[in-house]
This record gives sequence, structure tokens and C-alpha cells, in this order.
Amino acid sequence: MAEVRFDAASRIYPGTEVPAVNELNLDIADGELLVLVGPSGSGKSTALRMLAGLEFIDKGSVFINDKDVTLAPPQDRDIAMVFQNYALYPQMSVAANMGFALKQQGIPKDERRKRVEEAARILDLEPYLDRKPKNLSGGQRQRVAMGRAIVRSPQVFLMDEPLSNLDAKLRVQTRTELADLQARLGVTTVYVTHDQVEAMTMGHRVAVLDHGVLQQVARPRDLYSKPENRFVAGFIGSPAMNLVDVDATNGIAIAGGTVPFDDSVNVANQSGTVSVGVRPEHLSLVTDGTPDSIAGEVTVVEELGSEAFVHVRTKHQGDDLTLVVRDEGETSTQRGDQVSVAFTGPTHLFGADGERVGD
Amino acid sequence: MAAVTSNSTREEQVKALQKKEARRRRLPLLPALLFTIVVTQVPFLMSLYYSFTKWTVTPPSPREWIGIENYTDAFTNMFFRQAAMTSVIMTLTSVVLSVILGTGVALLLDRKFFGQGFVRTLIITPFLVMPVVAGLVWKNQMFSAAFGVLNWVLNQVGVESIEFASKFPRWSIVGVLVWQWTPFMMLIILAGLQGQSSSVIEAAKVDGASPRATFFQITLPHLRPYIELGVLLGSIYLIQVFDHIVVMTGGGPGSTNVPLFVNQRSIGGGWRFGSASAFSIVVVVATIILATFGLRVLSGLLEGEEAA
Ligand SMILES: Nc1ncnc2c1ncn2[C@@H]1O[C@H](COP(=O)(O)OP(=O)(O)O)[C@@H](O)[C@H]1O
Ligand SMILES: [Mg+2]
Repeated sequence: MAEVRFDAASRIYPGTEVPAVNELNLDIADGELLVLVGPSGSGKSTALRMLAGLEFIDKGSVFINDKDVTLAPPQDRDIAMVFQNYALYPQMSVAANMGFALKQQGIPKDERRKRVEEAARILDLEPYLDRKPKNLSGGQRQRVAMGRAIVRSPQVFLMDEPLSNLDAKLRVQTRTELADLQARLGVTTVYVTHDQVEAMTMGHRVAVLDHGVLQQVARPRDLYSKPENRFVAGFIGSPAMNLVDVDATNGIAIAGGTVPFDDSVNVANQSGTVSVGVRPEHLSLVTDGTPDSIAGEVTVVEELGSEAFVHVRTKHQGDDLTLVVRDEGETSTQRGDQVSVAFTGPTHLFGADGERVGD
Repeated sequence: MAAVTSNSTREEQVKALQKKEARRRRLPLLPALLFTIVVTQVPFLMSLYYSFTKWTVTPPSPREWIGIENYTDAFTNMFFRQAAMTSVIMTLTSVVLSVILGTGVALLLDRKFFGQGFVRTLIITPFLVMPVVAGLVWKNQMFSAAFGVLNWVLNQVGVESIEFASKFPRWSIVGVLVWQWTPFMMLIILAGLQGQSSSVIEAAKVDGASPRATFFQITLPHLRPYIELGVLLGSIYLIQVFDHIVVMTGGGPGSTNVPLFVNQRSIGGGWRFGSASAFSIVVVVATIILATFGLRVLSGLLEGEEAA
């Protein structure tokens, strides 16, 4: 079992100026499932490939189990990787694919067969062991890629968007199975995805990257309730947090409604343009005339059955502003209704530099 | 009961649709196909007919049907057997060597480096040289005892000049053929290499495969269809080699292959078109058998590599 540590590790691709991964510091505990999440191009794959040994580390170092592997080739790191396109060996049968790494280690045929069959049983791949990858469905291929990784019992699993080529339903199902499998095997895992829902549901902890810079590492719940900066606030959560730029010179209000903050936020200290964040479930539709409520018109109602998201258009500092409000149960609101919106839960304040203000 | 009948009619409907689809796809091919058949098969059929006749020009005599006599001749004719042997050896060695060399060069060119396009073009040029010119250039500029570059190099290291083309006629020709055909094999195999997904190679690296193991267990099986194609095309062309031999050795000892032999028998002076036709038919049949067999063996070799 293994711990993984990135120590100010950077990757600058030849011919580029800006590091694709910029001084990444990250400690991953033994047996942990850490998810790297961020928008496309944020450096997630690069970070993972640095750990795999497939990408040079230009600055800083990477440790596996306190062993410096910064310059070690992939085969000396005892890691297994699941690629986004699975990268199965097309000319080999499923069994040969899964046994390939063992064969390279010189493990005898019988032992190989035994371990491959064991992994195939875990992954329900037994009927397909003699097939070629091209004769498998997408979900089966994904499982072969997983099988290839678990057969080896490596120190660390690395997964680069392993579910992104599956259809939506299968993705949700496989997500749960994968998290369960990881917990059972207890192998330290670094999991890359651009899908924040996947990150939140699977990760023991989630690391958010943007432009190669680590924004925040936290447990999913903390990431959701205490985003460290404006980027994380906007990236995590679906539908996204309402983020409104406010001129803080004379107190902080949105469309005439004064925003309540908890005691750790000193509103009087703020100046310039700050951002106010409030999640849809912390806003409510209220009766007209409620103090500090925001008046507006309903433009869209998204009915999801157990809840509805109501888009309310209002005027803020002379511009149109749309707030998304969560309405529980079946809503009676319709497009075109005139409504009032009130703050009913925690709010977040981000200073002019984008950093969180207060606790 | 009703369900069964409706099923079977549906089956028939689907079959009819498939047939229609197949026809729709094949019909546009028809003109080209007809043209190809007329251009390639008619001369072949005529040769086939001639091969059963006695037909000499000097002295002029009417064509005369003699059955399989030309064929029995072919198998007992020692010179023909020698020529056939030369053809087989020349073709096999040239194809095998140019595939091996071509694979090597392709592996080298498959990585990024400065001036990649330029080097690639340079390496392809031998393939673009006309066979006659290639033969002449090698005979006079490379192999010649008096002015040849090779002999100049040999002289520098203290070895006496060798008149390659007359001393080693067969291997001199094989050398030139390999020189001309390596670029062709390289092109085909390079296309194969560039069609290989880079993440497969990375997966092998992560799985702990050495570069050697990656090549033999992953890259080579992937290249198999490309190598097969190269071998097939190369064999078909090289069995017909003629110009190089005429120019370099004129069919000197051990370098008369079947095309040259057939030529000598017919328009080259022998004027025996009937028996020459029979020889060429034998070669065509032998080539087909050889190519089929060769591909089997090759497939088997690569298949075995994978199963191991
Ligand atoms: N081989 C490469 N050469 C140059 N730039 C690259 C290379 N690979 C990725 N990049 C750049 O590095 C950044 C991060 O890429 P990547 O790690 O693939 O992002 P992600 O996986 O988060 O989508 C992107 O801006 C991308 O354009
Ligand atoms: Mg990526």
C-alpha cells in the first residue's frame, strides 16, 4: 500500500511558457481515492501522467511511499493506469490483455491464468476472456481496462477519465461499482475527471485544478459548503452557485436585497467589486413584501420531480441578472410569474482577489 | 403459428433488402471491373491458348495445337528450372531483406526530429528511380571495378577491386533490388506505425514492458497486415524483375530469372512463343501458390508470437 506526494511539481511542455501543472503540492494518504477535477485543459491529465512517469517533471518532485520517483521510468513505479480510451492491446485476447503486465514480470503461465481468472470473476468478465477487444461493448472494454489494472495489485491506481466514453446510465452505475471496488481493494487511487458530480460522489477528497494551479483540496462536503475561492464556488455544484459581482462601497446588496452574512464576515471592511455567492437551495420564493427580498420575473422553470429550479430575472446595478432558486416538491410557479426571492441559508463572500472572506 | 409465418416473411424481406443494398454498392464498380477484366485477363487467356501450341517465327510456320507438350518440356528443361530457382531466390531474399530494412528505417523515422520531412523524402527517392537507370547507376557508379564508389571504399581500406556485377551477379542484383524496394516497404510500414495509438504504447510502458517486448508483442502484431501487404506487392513486382538484370549482367551466371529466360526464348532471339507462353503460365501459377503459402507462414509466425 502506498502514499503519494507531489512536492511543488511542475510541468512545462516544450515550446510553451505557461506551466501545464504549476507547483503542485498534494499529499495522498494510503488507500485514499483522490479525485483531480477541473475544466478541460486545466492540467489534470498532465498531473496524472507526471505521477505515472509518462511526463517529465520539470521542477519539484514526486514521491511514492517516501521514495523519490521523480526521474524513475513508469515500469519502476509499480503503478497501474486506466486510460480514457482504455488503450487495450487490440491484437490480444481479453485474457492476454489482463495478463500482459504479469507476463512482463516473468510470472509463470499457471499463476498468470489464476490471477486473470480471479480478476475476471470480480469484474464479470469470465465469458469474454478469449475475445478480442474489438468484439466487446464499451462497458466491457472499460472493465477489461480495469481488470488489467487490478490483476497487478499495484501500489497505486491511476485513472484518466475512465468513464467518459460510457453512456450516461452506465456511467452512473459504473461509478458506484468502481468506488466500491476501490474501497474493497484498498489501493491508493488518483482519479481524474472533468465531471464535478463524479468527483463529488466518488472522491474521499477532491482536488480542484484550474490553469495548472491547485485551487483547493478538501472532502466533498467541505468543498461544497466552504469553497476557498470564487473559481471553486462556481465549479462545484449543479446547478452552479449564483455568483454576483457587487460594488461593496455602501454595504452589500443584490438588486436591492441586503445580503446577510455570518459573523466572521466584516462587510464594512470590503471595498471595490466583490463577489457574493449563494447556492440555489439557500434562496427561496417568498410572498411579496418580505423585507430584503428581491423582486423579479420567472423566465425558466426546470422541473425535476422532487424539486424544481426556478430562474428569476431581476435588475442588479443596471444590468439583467438571473438568479436560480431551488423550490422543493412540485412547484406552482410558471414562466412569467412575478415573484420575490429571499436569502434563507448561508452565503459566501469572495474579495476582489477572488479569495473567500470569513470562515 | 401466425408469428412464425410473419417472422419468415420478415426474414425474406430483410434478405431482399440486403441483396438490393449489395447490388447498389457493386453496380458502380462494374465498368471499371469490365475494363480490368478485358485488359488483364484477355492477354492472359491468349497466352494460355498459345502455351498449348507450337508457334515459331523463324522459320515461319503456322500455329499448331500440341496439347501439354510445352508444359512437359518446361518441367524437364534444366535451364528453365535454373531460371525458376533464380527467380525464387532473388525474389525471396530481396523481399525479406527490404522488409527488414524498411521496418528498421520506418522505426527510426517514426520519431519526431528536425528535418523529418526532408529525410523522409530523401529516403524515398530510390523507389522513384527507373529500374533501368537504377541498374546502370549501380553498375557504373557503384559496382564498377574502375570507377565504382564501393571499390574506391574497398581500396581505401586496402582491399583489391572486385568486379561485383560479374563476380557476384545474383547478389549484386539483389543488392540493387533491396536498395530500390526498402523505401517502398518503409512507406507502408511507416503508415502502419503512425496508425498505432500512442496510448497503447504508454499502457505497455506502465505495464512494465521493455522496448523489446513492446516491439515484438505489440507493435509487430499491429504491423502484421502492413507487412503482409508489403510482402505481397513486393513479391508480385520482384518476380517480374527484368530491366536490372539486362542492364547489369545481361543474365550472366546465376542471374537469369524467368522473365529473362522467357524473353530469350521469344522476342529475344528464340522466337518460340508457344513454349515461352507455357513458361510464363507456370510462373504465374507458381507465384500464386508461393504468395498464398508465404502469407500463411508469415501469419503463422506472427500469430505464434502473440500466443506465447
Ligand atoms: N504534449 C503537449 N504539448 C504541449 N502542450 C500540451 C501537451 N499536452 C497538453 N498540453 C497543454 O497542457 C494543458 C493541460 O493539458 P491536460 O493536462 O491534458 O488537461 P486536462 O487533462 O485537464 O484536460 C493544456 O493547456 C494543453 O493544451
Ligand atoms: Mg485530460
